[in-house]
Amino acid sequence: MKRKSLLFIAIFSLFAFTISPVAAGNEFAVGSKLENFKMTGTDGKEHSFNDLKGKNGSVVIFLSAQCPVVKAYIERIDEIAAEYKAKGINFIGINSNHRDAESLEWVTSDAAENFKFPMLIDTNNVLADKLGATVTPEVYYFNADNVLLYHGSIDNDRSGRNIQERFLKSAFDATLAGEKIEKARTNAFGCTIKRVEKAAAGN
Amino acid sequence: MIRSFLVRTGASVFLGLLVLCLSLEISGQGNGTDTDSRPAARPTVKQINEVDLLDLIKPKGKPLLINFWATWCVPCREEFPELVHIDDEYRGKIDFITITLDDVEELDRLVPQFLNEMKAQMPTYLLYTTKEDAAIGSVSGEWRGALPFTILYAPSGEAAYSRQGIININTVKAEIDKLLSPKQ
Repeated sequence: MKRKSLLFIAIFSLFAFTISPVAAGNEFAVGSKLENFKMTGTDGKEHSFNDLKGKNGSVVIFLSAQCPVVKAYIERIDEIAAEYKAKGINFIGINSNHRDAESLEWVTSDAAENFKFPMLIDTNNVLADKLGATVTPEVYYFNADNVLLYHGSIDNDRSGRNIQERFLKSAFDATLAGEKIEKARTNAFGCTIKRVEKAAAGN
Repeated sequence: MIRSFLVRTGASVFLGLLVLCLSLEISGQGNGTDTDSRPAARPTVKQINEVDLLDLIKPKGKPLLINFWATWCVPCREEFPELVHIDDEYRGKIDFITITLDDVEELDRLVPQFLNEMKAQMPTYLLYTTKEDAAIGSVSGEWRGALPFTILYAPSGEAAYSRQGIININTVKAEIDKLLSPKQ
């Protein structure tokens, strides 16, 4: 029994997020404009947001290498990213988790294996704090002028078994058709972003 | 002849009683530990949807504490022993339920297994909904979708306290105490 418990704990320690203080910062509201930022990617190069965005906008998506909810979404994320890249909307992955929770090597190999878009490393949660992102996966859809059009979840069902509302795709389609986005804000459900301690981060 | 019958019957009854006593002894050992009197019966977890949730979050005359968690959420697992302590201390004074957002496949597997390990007695539900966004919003405007999330409702239905992230047990207890002794 004791051995079983130890095994159980060992398995779950693989998903160790440890303590995840949630940023209490203000939410980045729909309609707000995001200033350009630069961040290093898992390719080791520095990238500019303005260089990565598409002609019709971009999606900043907070991801994790270990979150079971993200894993359940990988296929759907890749499908949507490929479909809308062709329509001028580029996906930009952001990993804001503390490096104690997810090593750079892990995030790099996970990004290479699962995602066909750039993955940037948000050291000290600067972007997560700016946008008020709290979970993975959580998406922010910006137009070509970097104005936030939609924030929240990808669809209504993380399991993918009973998808009835494709919030993100609907936002894309409405914008591309020149129409108003029916639902510009939803609640994203997922794994808490493991933030750095602010004192340690020098904030 | 009669004597032989009585001897055989007596021996059978004796053996039967012996087997009964032994089986009761064995089952008694399996239902508890030396150090803890809590029953080790496998906890049952009921699946609910967003409509059931709306009913569950309505207090029924007492303060209502709800914790949202999942077995894959490490902070949730870390704080769970504190929740069990709260349940021990306030059982009967408040209503306390936990709601897991695990996959439905874990209804009979990891969820009861974890509750058993924690020796948790709080009623536990597994929320599966295709309206996650609405469900989160119905619980609290303060909940941004991250786990764990803990909320304390006053008997009136107003949220008295909520916390996204690991709770501080003393803070939660102080908030419960305030509701139980409103004049203080």
